[in-house]
Amino acid sequence: MGQREQATDGEVVRAVLAGDVEQYAVLVRRYRDRYARFAARMLGSLDAAEDAVQDAFVRAFDQLAQCREPAKFSGWLFLILRNRCFAERRRRTREGRALEATDEAIAGPDRPDGNVEQVEQAHALERALVDLTPEQREVFVLKHVEGLAYEEIAGMTGATVASLKMRMHRAYDRLRELLKEHS
Amino acid sequence: MTETFHPLVKRLLDGELSLGDLPPGLRGEGAEALRLLGAVDRTPVALSVQLEARVMAEVRRRARSPMRRIWRGLVEPRDIELRLRLRPWVVWGTALAAAAAVALLLTRPSPGPRGARPARLAARDSVYVRFVLYAPTAKQVAVAGTFNQWDRNASPLVRVGGGGVWAITLALPQGHHQYAFVVDGEQWVADPAAPGVDDGFGRRNSMVAVTARGARIL
Repeated sequence: MGQREQATDGEVVRAVLAGDVEQYAVLVRRYRDRYARFAARMLGSLDAAEDAVQDAFVRAFDQLAQCREPAKFSGWLFLILRNRCFAERRRRTREGRALEATDEAIAGPDRPDGNVEQVEQAHALERALVDLTPEQREVFVLKHVEGLAYEEIAGMTGATVASLKMRMHRAYDRLRELLKEHS
Repeated sequence: MTETFHPLVKRLLDGELSLGDLPPGLRGEGAEALRLLGAVDRTPVALSVQLEARVMAEVRRRARSPMRRIWRGLVEPRDIELRLRLRPWVVWGTALAAAAAVALLLTRPSPGPRGARPARLAARDSVYVRFVLYAPTAKQVAVAGTFNQWDRNASPLVRVGGGGVWAITLALPQGHHQYAFVVDGEQWVADPAAPGVDDGFGRRNSMVAVTARGARIL
């Protein structure tokens, strides 16, 4: 088990492709929580995030032979999860079920270090984030929740830094507008 | 009328400026913007401990599915041991035939500048497919795909002549294969001669279908 856990992503992917399916659990353990917060903030619900992460892992297994660069499995998995989050939002929009930041764990927990006003602001921001476009929400979450630089986000998503900045700047304006509406 | 943040305030939010860098008239707006970011919840999210078990149960179920086994049988490399008992005249006859085949191959008109082309039937279940890429400035070119587990070192192309054409001929098992060229070890290039297919994750792969009658790009 110890050796398995220390194996590189590339080694694990190749082992799985060679038929050692159980090795896939190493990748699940390694990345299950890394993108959980991203999925939760994208979908506004812990349950939806869990479904998305689970589906992403299963889909990644199905498509593993197409993973060109096994050493970069984590980035590839992120793209699958991202597509899954976008698809979920499109599906809900189609069905007329808007995303709702209703989950306590997502919609701003009552943090022990926060006063009532801070908690209210966190709730208001979470509700406003749900009303952004998926692309705006994604760049906001990756930059301000996950703490990534524009260059890192560009590397993960394939978008240019300039287009990411434009998307983000529109998101700032939209958030300002939404927060005023909510207040 | 939408009230937008001043461009300098957006740069403040991006972390490119500090509040002190803003003109005094913009500092109030800057402080409002920073309060917005201060409300961002960055607490970690913990998923259910059962997630791994659920994923692995589904993965095991899929790994056992007949379709997956068939697909793996088509696309994964296998070691095949051949044991033949031949009479000497068969060996010599085969050697002569092979020499003739090689000569025929070498004297064939050169292929077009690009793309994966079927050459000839290699074995009962595989076909020689010639991959060609025009890359005059490249120092090295390889082809990677489902047939070699996307190993960028497994199938290097060789330069053909001095015109920037690179080529390799591979024996591929029958079935559909996705592939791409790897230029100078890091740049992935879809085959310009073959329509690309989205791999589902924003990148393009090329497709070749190998059948007993030959290969064709998809």
